[in-house]
Amino acid sequence: MSVDVLSSIKDSLVNLDMDKTIDFVKKAVELGFKPMDIINVLADGMRVVGVRYERGEYFVSDLIVASEIFKEVMNILEPLITRVGEVVRPFGRVVIGTVEGDVHDIGKNLVITMLRANGFEVIDLGVDVPPQKFVEAVKQYKPDIVGMSALLTSTMINMKRVIEALEKEGLRNSVKIIVGGAPITEKFAREIGADAYGENAVTAIEICKKLVEELHRGK
Amino acid sequence: MGLKPRDRVISALRHEEPDRIPIDLGATPCTGVHAKTYYDLRKYLGLSLKPVRVMDIGQQLAEVDKDVLDLLHVDVVNVNRVLEPMAPHPYIYRFASVVDGSLKEVSDREFYIWRAPYGVDVEMPKYIEIVEVGEGFAGYSAGNIFGIIPRGGYYFWGLDRWRKSKPPLADVKSVDDVKKFDWDSFKVADDVVEILRKRAEYLYRNTDYALINNFVGGPGGYHDAGGQNLRGWDKWLSDLRIRKPLAEAILDHIHEVMMYNIKKIVNAIGEYVQVTAIAYDDLGTEEGPQISVQTFREFYKHRYEELIGYVKKHSRMFTWLHSCGSIYPFIREFIGIGLDIINPVQISARGMDPEKLKKEFGEQITFWGGGVDTQHVLPLAKPEEVVDHVKKLIKIFAPGGGYVYASVHNIQPGVPPQNIVAMFKTAYEYGKYPIR
Repeated sequence: MSVDVLSSIKDSLVNLDMDKTIDFVKKAVELGFKPMDIINVLADGMRVVGVRYERGEYFVSDLIVASEIFKEVMNILEPLITRVGEVVRPFGRVVIGTVEGDVHDIGKNLVITMLRANGFEVIDLGVDVPPQKFVEAVKQYKPDIVGMSALLTSTMINMKRVIEALEKEGLRNSVKIIVGGAPITEKFAREIGADAYGENAVTAIEICKKLVEELHRGK
Repeated sequence: MGLKPRDRVISALRHEEPDRIPIDLGATPCTGVHAKTYYDLRKYLGLSLKPVRVMDIGQQLAEVDKDVLDLLHVDVVNVNRVLEPMAPHPYIYRFASVVDGSLKEVSDREFYIWRAPYGVDVEMPKYIEIVEVGEGFAGYSAGNIFGIIPRGGYYFWGLDRWRKSKPPLADVKSVDDVKKFDWDSFKVADDVVEILRKRAEYLYRNTDYALINNFVGGPGGYHDAGGQNLRGWDKWLSDLRIRKPLAEAILDHIHEVMMYNIKKIVNAIGEYVQVTAIAYDDLGTEEGPQISVQTFREFYKHRYEELIGYVKKHSRMFTWLHSCGSIYPFIREFIGIGLDIINPVQISARGMDPEKLKKEFGEQITFWGGGVDTQHVLPLAKPEEVVDHVKKLIKIFAPGGGYVYASVHNIQPGVPPQNIVAMFKTAYEYGKYPIR
């Protein structure tokens, strides 16, 4: 019976049923399940949603519905988390922005949506972000990951400037760097010294989880 | 060559093979060239160098001069063209200047020179005022701010991108909230329609070009230009799934103004213009459609059908739709409701394989675009590689007509002029029918 509730939560999320997911979450809370267990099962559900998207069965609209369901559930769970005093360790903290000279943000925003729906804490620096602003954000927020987005061949080179600025400040090794955007390639990511290349919002999530693990092992 | 450009285009749109494939550079805001790139192109071609006249302010697209139109054998121009051949019917803007508050009365044929942040002198129309701000330069159109170009930038971006404003319907919760929005502001004014009519008639009688009307007024579409523009890109996508009554209410209002505008436009220009845009609605992304076919049928199909139906019933104009990205599953739907032309045919997007598209849809819809991959080939390949690439595409798309040659969306800064020349030279020489 108890296991059923958790798998019902997962299934309802995977089927993008907002009402059912919320009902089962409320039931799980009544039955005494810990918020973190519920969040974990939602993260499993999000992974399935991501797989379906990659297979072409689900569309961008489905990713967004799934993340809205996640947000609604978090509205229910958050007060409980603070009440119980349980420290919810997010899967990681990410600082993300579109590089200087570039104002494209649809892709970046989708990555942010998916990251949050997968339990990451995200600080969004917005668009047209100069290297110095990335550096300040790393100093202020001490993130695990720095994400950079660009859509223009003329602005993607600014990603390298950000990495160099972080090196100059002695901050490069304290973070993992992931880059993405239509003109970005695996080769480009390697050339500029990034840690990873994210092809789309879904693969970016799995990569970010691995990067956080790598970083913590290194520390 | 025997055929007049207008007849060449009409023949292709009828799925016949004229003497060669018709060519478009600069006739639409999605088949144009950025001002910087156009300047470099003129330089490369040894043509006179002068400030570039801009025809799309946000995207900073150049109006293509007649000498380049002739050189590249372009067959189609837009009704609102601001360089010769240009209709002598100016539209007068009356507004209060944001610079000094004075009352301005300027025609859209009056220009001033502005040094753009990307290093080129451009001619901006006088109803556009530019004010320096922290991030770069803010653009005002007849007194209303429409965007900001960053200091090192190439385009004017809307305020929502700068987080300086929210989409207009971002906070609506109910159908009543939706009613309160000023939908009438989207309706096209009678004086605008009258100028459009005069321009269409003039160009029809005084040039041999095929004419396209790009102006649809209002939001410009139902999805990307419609719901996503008004509610937010992400939010609208979930509106269509979990806030359906709200989505329907918004679409009802959008459809009402779209129909109002198309009626006015068709009645004004229907006898002079060969092609009219009906909407600019990106339905795809790089990786797939944004929505399922079911969602498309639930919300959009019948509305598009009425829009297209009005044009077909009341004129002989061909209907043209812009939709970026991976839109393969929707093409069959659009064919079913009578759409004539699809643009830009983004061949780099998933599922948009030229051979598959031509084989399955080539006899029933015209591909206006798909002439060169603009993400990797046009900007980065050698001219010889561009030639080979374009030949392959022509060989696939051209047979049987139903193909108007244009790049996949606007040609961007950074594209070498020699590649542009290679592309259009190949389109002209290799595009002669029958294709070998």
